Amino acid sequence: MKFIKNHLMFILPLMAILLGIEFYLVFERTTNTYEKGLTEGYSMLVVTKDPVELSTFQALNKHISSSEKLKRDAIVSEVAKGVNKSTREAILTALPYFYNVGLDAYLHSSGLEKIKEDLETDPNIKKVETFGGSYDSSYKLFSFIKFTLKIFIVFMTIVSLFLIIKQMEIWKYAHKERMQVMEIFGAPMMLRSGVLFKVALIDAFFSTLLVSAIFFYLKFYWAGQSGINIMMENQEALFKMSDIGILFASSLLIVIIAVYSVVFSSKGVQE
Amino acid sequence: MSNVIHASHLTLAYGKGEKEVIKDANFSIKKGEFVFITGPSGSGKSTLLKALYGQLKPSEGSLVVGGLDLATIRQGKLQELRTHMGIIFQDYKLVNEWTVSKNVVLPLMIAGYSTEVQETQARRLLKHVKLSDYADRYPLELSGGEQQRVGVARALAKNPVVILADEPTGNLDDYSSNVIWDLMENACQQLDTTVLVVTHKIPTIFSLPYRHFIIESKGVYEVH
Repeated sequence: MKFIKNHLMFILPLMAILLGIEFYLVFERTTNTYEKGLTEGYSMLVVTKDPVELSTFQALNKHISSSEKLKRDAIVSEVAKGVNKSTREAILTALPYFYNVGLDAYLHSSGLEKIKEDLETDPNIKKVETFGGSYDSSYKLFSFIKFTLKIFIVFMTIVSLFLIIKQMEIWKYAHKERMQVMEIFGAPMMLRSGVLFKVALIDAFFSTLLVSAIFFYLKFYWAGQSGINIMMENQEALFKMSDIGILFASSLLIVIIAVYSVVFSSKGVQE
Repeated sequence: MSNVIHASHLTLAYGKGEKEVIKDANFSIKKGEFVFITGPSGSGKSTLLKALYGQLKPSEGSLVVGGLDLATIRQGKLQELRTHMGIIFQDYKLVNEWTVSKNVVLPLMIAGYSTEVQETQARRLLKHVKLSDYADRYPLELSGGEQQRVGVARALAKNPVVILADEPTGNLDDYSSNVIWDLMENACQQLDTTVLVVTHKIPTIFSLPYRHFIIESKGVYEVH
């Protein structure tokens, strides 16, 4: 019972940190997809006197990734219904050129303003409409969700780290005497810390295994049956095999830091 | 005979040299000698012993043990040097979660000896300290005198060049104390091991010739 309790006291906080890391990875992947969707769905309207090539727009601002010229004939046919052919041609000649301009990233509204300013430096460009109002509210909501989750992950990590420090104190209490005696008789550090490393590595392995199992379950069983669209659409992003490597590497790093801290703080002979 | 320990203008201090315990000490101890170091409480006996096993670096002068200057020794060399030492403590310093047998063979384990060698040596050493029946017991199941015999067996496990003992009989009754002194005398006599014992009282029954140093007013003086 004591054995299980000792392991759980390290496994649980380690799992909390790993869950935080995995949540972050999953969130980054799903929000990247969402961000991509928002970016693809967004375009600003640019009005020019003369036709403009994409390269000209890109020379003005590097975030511009596409430009689509709106058909002037279609616009004229809408605004000049019932007018004769010559008037229609006159309108067509006088009508400026309209472009839907797409961006390569999901930017903050200040980024949009900067693009607008850059474009307006060209005398050929008459007007730039960013539709900043609706864009800004989506961006703010999106950023808020991202920020909230990050804060939660950081908070969870800090609390878990405190629990790990507590467990390190218990380790120190349990292993200090043996490590000091071994040190007096000339044992190298790896031999002194061997037992502690073994315990910690087992905990790291089980923590990784449990967190991976949770996300494996979420991806292959829960997400498919949840009926939640966003989950079903992003099922692939929920867990990747490479995540196991990231989780195990993270837990190893935590374990190595924890064990070495205990070993170094146990140096010297107790009076 | 060559010097196993040589101190030259040795100063030992705690902190950043603020609290000097031993100042400008000069002495040499040869191979196979039995040495007692006495002195009043707080005079620096245990501090000197700590310096001899590399736990406290000399703040001035040199302290050479087995040809290595402990003032400048690197960690790796210090570890190696310690494998040639047997150290006995007043409070035994046994690992309580290990069996008596495992405690005894700790120096052999550190040196990388095989399990068979360790087991054979454990039996031999425990027989030597008359604890053959206690191999599978744990230190806390033993009396103080028995625990100290385990400590002596551990110190002798790898035929050390030097045995350093800090008040080895400080917590023991007369019978147990005599057993410990006998074991250390034998080690000195039969294995030609240098034995350096810090004690507040030299035993009255002691058959070997020995040297006696006293620590007083920060100095280390030989008593003739």
